Amino acid sequence: MPSAYYLVLSFVLFLIGTAGVLLRRNALIVLMGIELQINGGNLALLAFARQLGDQKGHVFAFLVIALAAAEAAVGLAILVGLFRSRQTINLDEATLMKR
Amino acid sequence: MTFPLRLIPLLPFLGATVLMLFGRKWARDTVFVIAALAIGAACLVSLDAFFLVLPGTGAGGLSDVVMTWIATGDLHVDLAFRMDALSGVMCLVITFIGFLIHVFSAGYMAEEPDYARFFAYLNLFCGAMLVLVLGDSLPVMFIGWEGVGLCSYLLIGFWYSVTANADAGKKAFITNRIGDLGFLIGMFLLFYYTGTLSVPDITSAAVAPHSGLLTPFMGMPVAFWVAIFLFIGATGKSAQIPLYVWLPDAMAGPTPVSALIHAATMVTAGVYMIARMHAIYVMVPSAMAIVAVVGAATALFAAIIGFAQNDFKKVLAYSTVSQLGFMFAGVGTSNFDGGIFHLVTHAFFKAGLFLCAGSVMHAMSGSGDIRIMGGLRKKLPWTHGVFFVCWLAICGIPIFSGFFSKDSIIAGSFATEIYGEGLAWVGKLVGVMLMLAALGTAFYMSRLYFLVFSGDETRADDHTRHHIHESPPIMTGPLVVLAIGATLIGFIGLPADLWHHPEQNLLAHELEPVLEAGWVGPHLEVSHNTELIFMLVSTLIAFAGIGAAAAFYRGGYKEPARAFAAKFPGFVRLVQDKFRIDELYDFLIIRPIRAFSRGLFTFVDRIIVDKILVEGTGVVVDVFSRIARAVQGGDGQRYMAVFTIGVALLVHFATQPTLPFSKLKVTQTGRAVEVDARRGNRAPTRALEYAFDFGDGRPVVKGSAPEQRHDYDRPGSYTIHVKISDPLWGTEDAFKEKVEVR
Amino acid sequence: MNPAHAADAAGYSAPTGDVILFAVMAAWVTFFALFTITRRNPVTAVMSLVATFFGLAAIYASLDAHFLAVLQVLVYAGAIMVLFIFVVMILNREEVAPLALRPTRILGVVAAAYLLYVFASVVGFGDKAAPTMAGPPVVAETYGTVAAIGGILFREYLYPFEAISLLLLVAIVGGVVVSRSHQKEVAALRAADYRKRVEELAEHDYPGTQEEPTATAGGHH
Repeated sequence: MPSAYYLVLSFVLFLIGTAGVLLRRNALIVLMGIELQINGGNLALLAFARQLGDQKGHVFAFLVIALAAAEAAVGLAILVGLFRSRQTINLDEATLMKR
Repeated sequence: MTFPLRLIPLLPFLGATVLMLFGRKWARDTVFVIAALAIGAACLVSLDAFFLVLPGTGAGGLSDVVMTWIATGDLHVDLAFRMDALSGVMCLVITFIGFLIHVFSAGYMAEEPDYARFFAYLNLFCGAMLVLVLGDSLPVMFIGWEGVGLCSYLLIGFWYSVTANADAGKKAFITNRIGDLGFLIGMFLLFYYTGTLSVPDITSAAVAPHSGLLTPFMGMPVAFWVAIFLFIGATGKSAQIPLYVWLPDAMAGPTPVSALIHAATMVTAGVYMIARMHAIYVMVPSAMAIVAVVGAATALFAAIIGFAQNDFKKVLAYSTVSQLGFMFAGVGTSNFDGGIFHLVTHAFFKAGLFLCAGSVMHAMSGSGDIRIMGGLRKKLPWTHGVFFVCWLAICGIPIFSGFFSKDSIIAGSFATEIYGEGLAWVGKLVGVMLMLAALGTAFYMSRLYFLVFSGDETRADDHTRHHIHESPPIMTGPLVVLAIGATLIGFIGLPADLWHHPEQNLLAHELEPVLEAGWVGPHLEVSHNTELIFMLVSTLIAFAGIGAAAAFYRGGYKEPARAFAAKFPGFVRLVQDKFRIDELYDFLIIRPIRAFSRGLFTFVDRIIVDKILVEGTGVVVDVFSRIARAVQGGDGQRYMAVFTIGVALLVHFATQPTLPFSKLKVTQTGRAVEVDARRGNRAPTRALEYAFDFGDGRPVVKGSAPEQRHDYDRPGSYTIHVKISDPLWGTEDAFKEKVEVR
Repeated sequence: MNPAHAADAAGYSAPTGDVILFAVMAAWVTFFALFTITRRNPVTAVMSLVATFFGLAAIYASLDAHFLAVLQVLVYAGAIMVLFIFVVMILNREEVAPLALRPTRILGVVAAAYLLYVFASVVGFGDKAAPTMAGPPVVAETYGTVAAIGGILFREYLYPFEAISLLLLVAIVGGVVVSRSHQKEVAALRAADYRKRVEELAEHDYPGTQEEPTATAGGHH
């Protein structure tokens, strides 16, 4: 089972996640796209770990999951704050920095 | 031998400090006692030290090293004091007359609200002046030099709420400062060429065989320039041409200040300095000639101005300038004893004259205008008596002190041999100018006397007249002491040859050891006959001046005076306006400086600094931040998109075997073609695979060589395709070139 | 565990059930991922993301990463997605036009796709295959087990482990701070605003009487 398949799948996941991040207006969906990207990375990590027979990749992925948890928590908190002040989570309306 | 000389300046400094900190809360009597005690104690210590110094009692100079002040590289300066006969005499004059003036001020400034501040400044001044004369090296002397300049400023502008007074203080300080620059340059030159700034060392360096001071610089030995620059400092401090203009304005200060600072002590610092540095001056007679001529010219010039002044103190101020000119003429003709002698006598009679002015102004309800005075002889007996004595002294009437000192200088200038053959006429010129100045002195001082004291009526209005009263004893006491001094002090300097007794001239005898050091060359000797002749001539001149003044002014403005004023009104006004020198300076110097400053302000300050540098920086930052801002819209997803595009581009170009826009290089020779696919390739270390298809049906040449040669069989137009592939990344580039074969 | 392991001992193997299994799981994951990013309703999106994660867990398992597969389900699908659902429930808004098809962004996606192409060719996929990836080696029985990973985690990776816990702490605190209610601050700002407006009015009516801003209204002057 060549690792190439797993790796390409990981990049495909990453690509889908990127598309979600770039092309959606709803902030929640954007955050989910980010999660997809992270998982794509995780998959690549584990594929390489298996390829090289090294378990350090597993540990790395473990830490990545913890990190993703933290990031999701804080990101969602910010989102809630945004909602409270702007009453919207439509990112197209978050344009205060624009002239 | 050491002696706690530091006490001498220290006591007045302590007095000043204490009074400045606490004086305001204390009673006037306490303040006065502290101040007088400080200066009085300094006087006693000076006396004690002085008697140790006199050659008869053997000592040769006391020294007191307080601490090492500067010790960097080659420069080593100690904070040290030295007393020899010269500085001893100065110390006595300063402390004694200072003490008398303190006493006088207690009465004169009795109603002054800022009583404590006044005495504090007086003490401070005395301390600084003592540092000046006791300094063992030029930097220490300079501390005192600057200190007295500061105190002069503080005291002239004592009543600073009146703008004119503050302006006078500023004028004094700034003019002094210009002179100080000369002093500093002189110091620098001295240090550079002798490596030392301590006075004894300089003196020995001056007489050393290969002295650094003889190094030629712009045609003259360095000693000349040192002498000139130091003299410039002296013209500032001692009010000679061209920097005398501050002294008349300084009369805006309280009269005791004028008496102490601008008559007896501070202004004499220049004379003292030249006497101190005599070793340098005698090396360059040409410099001494300049000093003497400037001094004599000043004496004459100021005397003329004194003819037409209407303010009591202004007359005395110009008189001071004139008498200082005498002193400089004295030291300039190598008559150091004479210069110092006149310094001492002048201190007594001029201080006396000034304090009398104070007394008279006190009586006249604060006015100093002599046009409204007159007849005060009867109303102010004590003041009149003192003024009478001092008047005779300054005119040079025999027996009184001024006679001997002035005569010494005039005789000395004719008899001097310091200038050598070429400049011998300088002495004569100086002598003649001084005699004319003496005549003038007699005239204007007598004018002053007659207008103020003679006659029966006072020309003032009734109100003022009724208030005329003699001063209280606390003021007349010092006056009397000064009068006694003005009478008797002349006897310390009796001409040596008068009764054929070499030690006749006490002062010269005492000063001899000091002046001998560093003086090689002709010394001044006045023969017996010359002495007698000049004594006679001086007396005649004095009486002539008094007589003329009597004719003009005895008992008031008499007919000759009025006639003269009517005939030459323009000239009178010119003299009255002090020859408009101040206006000249204003035009030549002050106005250009002001215009320049204004220009600098408008251009440099407003435009360059404020607009360009300060605002400009802001504008630049603003512009750049606007540009930077335009890039950012706060849209995070857009950032990410751009980021991704950037990464993609980066990856793309990193993995291509050749650079973008690169071409094949095809060289054609006849039917052969050389293709070089190397151009545009990346790092030569990269192993790439090439496939050449020459378009004539032959098989494709593959390999890792970037250059290929190919011969075409038939002419025609061919297209060469080259594929370059990168095995590492699996990418590929293709090129094609058309080729025409003949 | 995996039948493919036995075959691996011989080296490369032909398409087996192994590959088919992978194809199915890959299809599952890809499908649900696409589903996630194209839903209008956030709840639906969250659910499909959960499904994606389950599929991923299966893939992890096929990679002999057992521990991580379980972790994926427990933490990612279990905790993080629950967090998402909470927030979605609070903020459930449907979008009018879900996709923002703007040129820069589309270009970004295209660029990412190009990167996929490059990546694929690098790892040896497609006819440009430079076979850089051979078949996976034989691994020990303890590969991917809790014990083995725990051993590495608490030995070589102790510092990163501690750092990650600190990070989680920071995230908690940060979350609390960011979502704090700013009522007191807002009230104070509003009060200052009010005072300023009152002063402006007073200045307008009685010019020149205002000395310094005081806490009282302008009427006292």
